Amino acid sequence: MIEATNLTKRYGDKLAVDDISFRVEPGKVTGFLGPNGAGKSTTMRMIVGLDRPTAGHVTVNGRPYAEHRSPLTQVGALLEAKAVHTGRSARNHLRALAATHGIPDARVTEVIEMTGLESVAKRRVGGFSLGMGQRLGIAAALLGDPRTLILDEPVNGLDPEGVLWVRTLVKYLASQGRTVFLSSHLMSEMALTADHLIVIGRGRIVAAGPVDEIVARGTRTSVKVVSPQATELAELLSGPEVTVTSDEPGTLVVHGATAPAVGEKAAATGIVLHELTPVQGSLEEAFLSLTQDTVEYHATMAHADAPSTGQEAAR
Amino acid sequence: MTTATSPATAPATLPEPPAGIHVSFPRLLRSEWIKMWSLRSTTWTLAITAVVIVGFVLLVTWGMLDARDVMGDTDPVNPLEAFGAVPYLGPTAVAVLGALVITGEHTTGMIRASFAAAPRRLPVLWAKATVLAVVVFVVTALAVAVAAVLQSLVFGSEGASVDLGEPQVVRALVGNALYVTGIAVLAFGLGVLMRHSAAAITTTLGVLLVLPILFSLIPWKPLQDLTPYLPNVAGSQITLTDEMIEQQASFTGSVVLSAWEGFGVLVAYLVVVLAAGAWLTRRRDA
Repeated sequence: MIEATNLTKRYGDKLAVDDISFRVEPGKVTGFLGPNGAGKSTTMRMIVGLDRPTAGHVTVNGRPYAEHRSPLTQVGALLEAKAVHTGRSARNHLRALAATHGIPDARVTEVIEMTGLESVAKRRVGGFSLGMGQRLGIAAALLGDPRTLILDEPVNGLDPEGVLWVRTLVKYLASQGRTVFLSSHLMSEMALTADHLIVIGRGRIVAAGPVDEIVARGTRTSVKVVSPQATELAELLSGPEVTVTSDEPGTLVVHGATAPAVGEKAAATGIVLHELTPVQGSLEEAFLSLTQDTVEYHATMAHADAPSTGQEAAR
Repeated sequence: MTTATSPATAPATLPEPPAGIHVSFPRLLRSEWIKMWSLRSTTWTLAITAVVIVGFVLLVTWGMLDARDVMGDTDPVNPLEAFGAVPYLGPTAVAVLGALVITGEHTTGMIRASFAAAPRRLPVLWAKATVLAVVVFVVTALAVAVAAVLQSLVFGSEGASVDLGEPQVVRALVGNALYVTGIAVLAFGLGVLMRHSAAAITTTLGVLLVLPILFSLIPWKPLQDLTPYLPNVAGSQITLTDEMIEQQASFTGSVVLSAWEGFGVLVAYLVVVLAAGAWLTRRRDA
């Protein structure tokens, strides 16, 4: 369980995390979703005491992280930047971390096997690929068999097999009753992995809740209709609350009306339907609509965007 | 304020972590010991230090005897003077080691893993400093011992052999190891402050090599008065016998610190630098 209260972090005049409060519950995978620079990594660093909050506080399993006598059994953290000395071998890196808690060497061997690093464990970390570096970071996070896992962009640089492995692993760990807090800017990955989502943009939480709830809130469901009398049907359906668009002849996308309502109206006027499909919004759509105003680094085109620059200046 | 909560679900019960698994200072020492010996730079810097100490003591002894013969002197040489090379050349490589022990973690990001494992942070610093000091002391003391044995084997017949039965001589020899250790810890402390390898190494070597020259070149009395209190000038008094210190006093005519006074001054610098480093380490983001 992670509990953050009014957590704030300011770097100079840049507000990286702006007064956020949230809880990450045990027993499920909680995704921390947001664009680059939204404050995900800063929040995670504050949880494990690496960055000092400017204001507010955060506890892990009921206490500030630094007050735990055995931090590695409470929290295993994979932080975004490689936190490994490049001159040391993977095994020695893990041995050094394990030694701080008196974790036996057998556990080091175990996590090396779990993360598939056996063949490279004796090699210096400097020569590791991004994927191997991630696996080593995950191995380090698992060392203390922790009750809470904090993984910052764990699938970054992993091959598809590795991505699937992380997904299975975190779900399994959560099913054991552990708290799993996982950040990503990859929505598709989150949709598959997380049960619960906290969406952050520009240092503020823009949405939080179960994944399907976020999707429902951030998108409008629509109905796809295929009909030989599409034009007629479009006129019939259009109204103050219903918009109808069409991308190809004979196919309509209806917003603001449910599939049964469309079907009933069509039946009442004798219009033939070939297809009637409710379309669920995607997490991607929800994410984009939720974070639209909060994206920190717009593509270069958007830099000329007058209103947003004006907003910055007005602060 | 933005708040996000979700209804608590009944968590499956997790077994409590084993009671014996927790952070302790001896365990941090062990961790730092593993870290130190799993990097190549440790072996290299220590090997260079040992070779430099043994090599220069023998070279200087040879040079002293040769000079005496050329001059046609018959006075016995003071074989301990050959160890005067140690405080000049010994600290260079260990200064690099001392700085790298901490700055290497900052430049690679390892410090985040270290501080996440031991979030109170300061015990990590003290464990690092302890392991560094013990390792450097043992290695330099062994190198000095080997140098003394070889000196006696090679040049003993010509009277250049330190008298290990003389407590003053033993203190001076052990003093070499103490001084070199002090400089390693100074470099470590500066590394804690600066978190940057090149900056910490350059500053340490600057303090050792440049400051004394600068102080002697600038003809301003207060600087000359302060010279005996420079870290290396004060600290290296412990490498001399009381007799050599008296000779030194008669040469310079200025203030000369005794062996332990001088070493005490060096220790005082270390305390100040480490205290400042500790204060910053607690406050700064890792």
